[in-house]
Amino acid sequence: MSNPEQLSCDEILQTLFQYLDHELSSDQQYLIYQFHFQGCSPCNELMIHESQVLSILKELLQGSCNEQAPQDLHDRIWEQTEALTAQNQVGYFSSSTTSTNFTFDGATSIQVTQEFTYEIRHDFTEGQ
Amino acid sequence: MGVALSLMDDIKSEIAVVDRATESAAEKKARFERDALQFTNQMYAAALRYTKNPSDAQDLVQDTYSKAYVSFHQFEPGTNLKAWLYRILSTTFINTYRKDQRRPLISDGELEDWQIYNAASHTSDQGRSAEDVALDGIVDLDVRSALAAMPEDFRMAVYLADVEGFSYKEIADIVGVPAGTVMSRLHRGRKLLRASLADYAKERGFNKAGQDE
Repeated sequence: MSNPEQLSCDEILQTLFQYLDHELSSDQQYLIYQFHFQGCSPCNELMIHESQVLSILKELLQGSCNEQAPQDLHDRIWEQTEALTAQNQVGYFSSSTTSTNFTFDGATSIQVTQEFTYEIRHDFTEGQ
Repeated sequence: MGVALSLMDDIKSEIAVVDRATESAAEKKARFERDALQFTNQMYAAALRYTKNPSDAQDLVQDTYSKAYVSFHQFEPGTNLKAWLYRILSTTFINTYRKDQRRPLISDGELEDWQIYNAASHTSDQGRSAEDVALDGIVDLDVRSALAAMPEDFRMAVYLADVEGFSYKEIADIVGVPAGTVMSRLHRGRKLLRASLADYAKERGFNKAGQDE
């Protein structure tokens, strides 16, 4: 981003959501506020409005998307952890779960998958 | 350790990988149970956003914890465990649950739309009209339905940012796209959600502006 002191309204609005998400550096956040919003009431009004809407949206989302996992699921995960420990699966390359399920599928390839595969392979290189 | 391992190369499948330190299996299990399992409810809520049904969501969370535990020695203590778990959740969903499904193509023009919206002048009141006013009449089911109806990429960007509070960079790592793409998805997702919730509000008769007319 160029110097926040010289940004036009349009440029400020292009960074509005980064500003509201606190994704700019703290210096930039400060400078944009100090040198633009304080002196430009249309931008300031819009910023405040968007900030309020975003707060409402987050409140609604956080209030709605807080489903509790059924007790049965908690139990299954605890049992699974016990079972994996008993089977000595943890930290072993022999784990079929690890080696097959993370295998990179060309059709749905994403970077994360590759990184994951790499990390796992990397850690197990010595054992191969 | 390297010597010990090389002696046993021929039975590689039986070899224990180097432990994170000298942690015993019991200690590792205790650490996993204490640190990772506390996120089960949150993971389940996230899995519901991905799968849109409770049965698949439960399986997805269970699979995620299985993979996470088996790979737990790779998790760097002190780094963001929640983000690490979400990354496994996301990867597992994409590889296992979504494998055969065709995804709607939304990446084309994503960035352009982002630019267009933002270039709108602040003198225009479009986009902040009645749609934002009535949101307080919304019920939980409306929010869940509106989210579920959104394209997955937008839905997950909004969920990860606005419910879980992840940064653009963290979301980028979790879903495997650049941070700029996250920003655009998040922005468009929020916009879609606002419009959609405003429709729900109107349908429910909570829109005061509508009632006054």
